[in-house]
Amino acid sequence: MKKLTLLLAAALLAIPAAAMAQTADGTVTVVHGVPGLVVDVYVNDALTLEDFAFGTVTDPLTLPAADYDIDIRAAGADPASDPVLSQTVTLPAGANATIQANLDGAGNPKITVWVNDISSIAAGNGRVTVRHTAAAPNVDVLANDGALFSNVANGAEGVADVPAGTYQVKVTAAGDASTVVLDTPLDIPEGTNVIVYAIGDLAGGSFTVAVQSIGNLQAAPTGVPSGTGGLLNTIPMWLIAALVLSAGTVTYGGLKLARERA
Amino acid sequence: MRPSPPLAMWLVRFGLALALLSTMVWAATRISPAAGNVEAIEENLAPRPAPTVGQAPASEASPFRFTIPDPAPRPAASPVGLRIPDLVENAPVIPVGIEPSGEMEIPDKVDEVAWYRFGPAPGQPGSAVLAAHVDLEGQGPGVFYDLRKLEPGAIVVVDYDDGSSSMFEVIARETYLKDELPLDLIFSRSGDPVLTLITCGGDFNRALRRYDSNVVVYATPIESHPAAAMS
Repeated sequence: MKKLTLLLAAALLAIPAAAMAQTADGTVTVVHGVPGLVVDVYVNDALTLEDFAFGTVTDPLTLPAADYDIDIRAAGADPASDPVLSQTVTLPAGANATIQANLDGAGNPKITVWVNDISSIAAGNGRVTVRHTAAAPNVDVLANDGALFSNVANGAEGVADVPAGTYQVKVTAAGDASTVVLDTPLDIPEGTNVIVYAIGDLAGGSFTVAVQSIGNLQAAPTGVPSGTGGLLNTIPMWLIAALVLSAGTVTYGGLKLARERA
Repeated sequence: MRPSPPLAMWLVRFGLALALLSTMVWAATRISPAAGNVEAIEENLAPRPAPTVGQAPASEASPFRFTIPDPAPRPAASPVGLRIPDLVENAPVIPVGIEPSGEMEIPDKVDEVAWYRFGPAPGQPGSAVLAAHVDLEGQGPGVFYDLRKLEPGAIVVVDYDDGSSSMFEVIARETYLKDELPLDLIFSRSGDPVLTLITCGGDFNRALRRYDSNVVVYATPIESHPAAAMS
């Protein structure tokens, strides 16, 4: 009965993973990190996202693993007009990816493709990912006044698993704790990869963050230890009394028999 | 040789019959390790298929569309109390996390119930886990001492921190050896709502001071009734 239970459970849990591998899908989320531009996003010449505004993160979408032509145009622009940004992007099977329009270090818009870490997270922990995609100098990232990532440049990311909880996150100029560009509480839920994108133009005043969350990455606890008293297995008094009485009776009667037969 | 006196023979027969009868009665009153329909629970907790291409209505020009998420919903109310007629009068429920060992944390008090706070609250999708000690050395039997006697059809009531209550009906009970405990199923966060009550059971190892099994009771939500009906 228990073996059947386990087999059923394993089969049910394996189905989504097997399905992903068989149909060779990946997951895609789109993030808008270019200030001052509302856009339409075309994939393989079809419109997939309209009036997409700065700082917005889409829901994830499962797509077949393949190469995709991405064209980004100003919102409402003629589909035949030249795109503002254009790139062919590869989505590998089983990958969880983010396609982002963002500024490079010099303030020029570009398309960046990130692969998100969806590996299992130990029970009790969450994951924080920070991506520097703003026109801004290198930064240090602190959590609760402790260094989390240091000297992160535009185009780079830091990833760390931390105990689940709320952290006060501070972003400062690299090596200069007195120049604070961001100071905000950030909740890292258990089993979730919280991805923070620094976006915009620091000098131009549009610097901000966009946040993407990928949940359900947790591992289960390894057990449920719930008892040290041992009372469940105690043999009840009535049974002990009955067995003692029966042993006494059998012994006495048996001895009597042996004596009288001899 | 004289014939055996009837008294001695009868004493031996009586003694053997008493031993046999008492052992049979004791064996017959052992609680069955399993009851109810655990397959239904496994179906309830099966992960839902991932969202696929084209989940939003597509225009003729587009095979798929990206969508912008709705603002995050209000967090669910947390459980603060547990009542099970004829079993648990009114036990406080404490939110817990993980021990350094990686196991679920359970407070050192036999009259408290632990709720795995990283998982769903009772009534939310997935398995909401409430665990308590069957007994503790030095404290005697715990609030879940008789959990293994809970039969399918029994009612369980959860009280929440916003003043509301929910009722659940026991669907199945299973006893698993600890290294066969289906952890991914019991701690699943997707699927239909299931309330999972856990304690220790099975055989006790006196040297290690631990039981070799977990007793798990699965319950599903029933239509809301006035909580006053449960007093």
